[in-house]
Amino acid sequence: MVLEQEGVLAVSYRAHLMGVRPGMRRSGALMLAPEAQMHERAPQQEQEALHAVALAMLQYTPQVAEGEGATLLLDVGASLRLFGGIRRLCRLVRDSLQKLGFSGVLGVAPTARGAWLLARAGGGRTLKLDSLLRRLHRLPVGLLPPLQRHQRWLDGIGCLSIGDLVRLPRPGLQRRCGIEVLEMLDAAQGLAPEMHEWLAAPPSFKAKLELFGRIENTDLLLAGACRLLQQLTGWLCAHQFAVSRIRLLLEHERGREACPPTPVEVMLAEPTWRDEHIVRLLKERLAKVELPAPAIGLALEAAQVEPMAPLSDSLFPEPGGNAQDRQRLFEVLVARLGAENVLQSYPKADYRPEVANRWVPLHEKVRPADIAAQMPPRALPRPAFLLPKPIQLLMRDHRPFYCSPLRMVSTAERIEAGWWSETQTRDYFIAEGEDHAYYWVYRERTPGTEETRWYLHGLFA
Amino acid sequence: MALFDPQPLHPALWLASQLTKGATSCVDTGIPVLSHQLPGGGWPTGVLTELLLQQPGVGELRLLKSTLASLNRPAALLQPPYAPQALGFELPPQQLLWIRNTGKAADSLWAAEQILRSGSCGAVLLWQQHIRNESLRRLHLAAQCGEALFFLLRPIAAAQDSSPAPLRLALRPAPGGINIEFVKRRGPQRDTPLFLPLTPTLLQRHAPVDRPLPAPVTARSVLSELVG
Repeated sequence: MVLEQEGVLAVSYRAHLMGVRPGMRRSGALMLAPEAQMHERAPQQEQEALHAVALAMLQYTPQVAEGEGATLLLDVGASLRLFGGIRRLCRLVRDSLQKLGFSGVLGVAPTARGAWLLARAGGGRTLKLDSLLRRLHRLPVGLLPPLQRHQRWLDGIGCLSIGDLVRLPRPGLQRRCGIEVLEMLDAAQGLAPEMHEWLAAPPSFKAKLELFGRIENTDLLLAGACRLLQQLTGWLCAHQFAVSRIRLLLEHERGREACPPTPVEVMLAEPTWRDEHIVRLLKERLAKVELPAPAIGLALEAAQVEPMAPLSDSLFPEPGGNAQDRQRLFEVLVARLGAENVLQSYPKADYRPEVANRWVPLHEKVRPADIAAQMPPRALPRPAFLLPKPIQLLMRDHRPFYCSPLRMVSTAERIEAGWWSETQTRDYFIAEGEDHAYYWVYRERTPGTEETRWYLHGLFA
Repeated sequence: MALFDPQPLHPALWLASQLTKGATSCVDTGIPVLSHQLPGGGWPTGVLTELLLQQPGVGELRLLKSTLASLNRPAALLQPPYAPQALGFELPPQQLLWIRNTGKAADSLWAAEQILRSGSCGAVLLWQQHIRNESLRRLHLAAQCGEALFFLLRPIAAAQDSSPAPLRLALRPAPGGINIEFVKRRGPQRDTPLFLPLTPTLLQRHAPVDRPLPAPVTARSVLSELVG
């Protein structure tokens, strides 16, 4: 439960079940729920949380303003078509709030003040001005902040709802309650224009999150990172940026031995401004990170950003997905399996088969022209599988033996190269075993010795 | 009395003596004899296809080579038993993706699922020794997300186990080629194996006659000091 000036301000669900209600004194609440955790209200943290939400909301509209009493005003008139209608937009906003770990009430109305009043009254959605007026007139007068001082007077004259308030004579109302009441009423009913100070996104992005406890589980860390990524998405959309490198810092407790924060860096080959792909990459990366100590905080920064290049809606999409999809797949694979396990072929122009069969990690940029320059001028008899190390074969009746005696079915291909590093003097043959599988074997030619040694080097699978 | 042919009614209906025609889209195998024996007339895309091998290297890649080359899209090799050699495949090297064995079976299954779901590869070849039935089902579902050819290469002993794959072929080497047994297909049971002549391409039984042409010499192209 949250306390303000010794009075209970807000309670959790479990405390509510125990009978604690907002407005109780501290001692009374302690009697009912002795093991409840008490927190003093922290205006600083509330302000930061509101800022975090505002930053995340920038992904839906560039026009976000702060209203009175922990509210945010979003002008979504221009975003409706992009996000597929007001219902879908509301759902997205609600999902974002949930990912950020906050609860919120949405009010939708044609006027900002009307939406504010609906949200304060518990939420609601009106799209037309007359339906908004109908709903507004049923709301209690106490929702308007300048009228809270005059609550008793209004009760006394039987003015309970905003509808009653509108019917009162304006000059008298202005004299007793001040000009703001009339201005608010006019703004809510769409009779007067409203002015907002739109929030501007900071020029660089760095968001921090303090975790509730000492976290060792990477799944929980990912949940915290998702929250920061929501803010990043909003910031990127506001600036029309796409991010190509992000850094997540896992902060550790500063005990006797100061432990520097563990960085988790995610590089993206294709800049993005949507969080789904980054979440997938982070999930794989976090699963591999070894924490030296429990983490108590997270910080996310956008290390490298680029201007956003919007998607082109091509009329005939490629069947195999576009190049970005492929890049994204490769990044996900590399993130989990490691760069040395996801390889592309880059043959080398060399006579020695081991050297010629070169595979390089995927992130190395290899141009097709480079590959073409390294390819042999005409096709060579090469097996599809190459053994990592040639196996010396047994000899039986002067014939090499691998599970069964091998019979040579081709002429020799003489390879003699590598005097500058590893000399190879070999005669390669295609051999057939009695199991009718084809093997690639070679005879080592060592001058001066009578003994011939045979090796198995590949399989024609 | 001629039996009523249910195939035009719905592609999922066929008589036990018939091969199904067009339940899924197919890619030509490049070998007409084999294509005639497969439902749909080729390798089915978007489903799990099992190739059961007597041993690695019996000729499975020679069988798939022309199909892979005709796709014109990347082919992913997951956990092949040996290092693949790009020159041994008849397709451009930039279309090959090799995912090495990380020591964990879950990693390669995960990678196969990711590749199949993304749909950016034309063919996925996965080598596995032991695979659980639920993993097979999961891979089969992932294959259905896309249009990729998906081959699972397993030891022939697995032919006894049940599998959700609609097409299962067992490959055994034979003199001058391979024998294909149809363990499971959507069509009539075939007991005699199908023989396909498949020898390594560029198999040279005779020594090549390599006659390098002498470089043509034009007047004054050779320095006079050298001619001396």
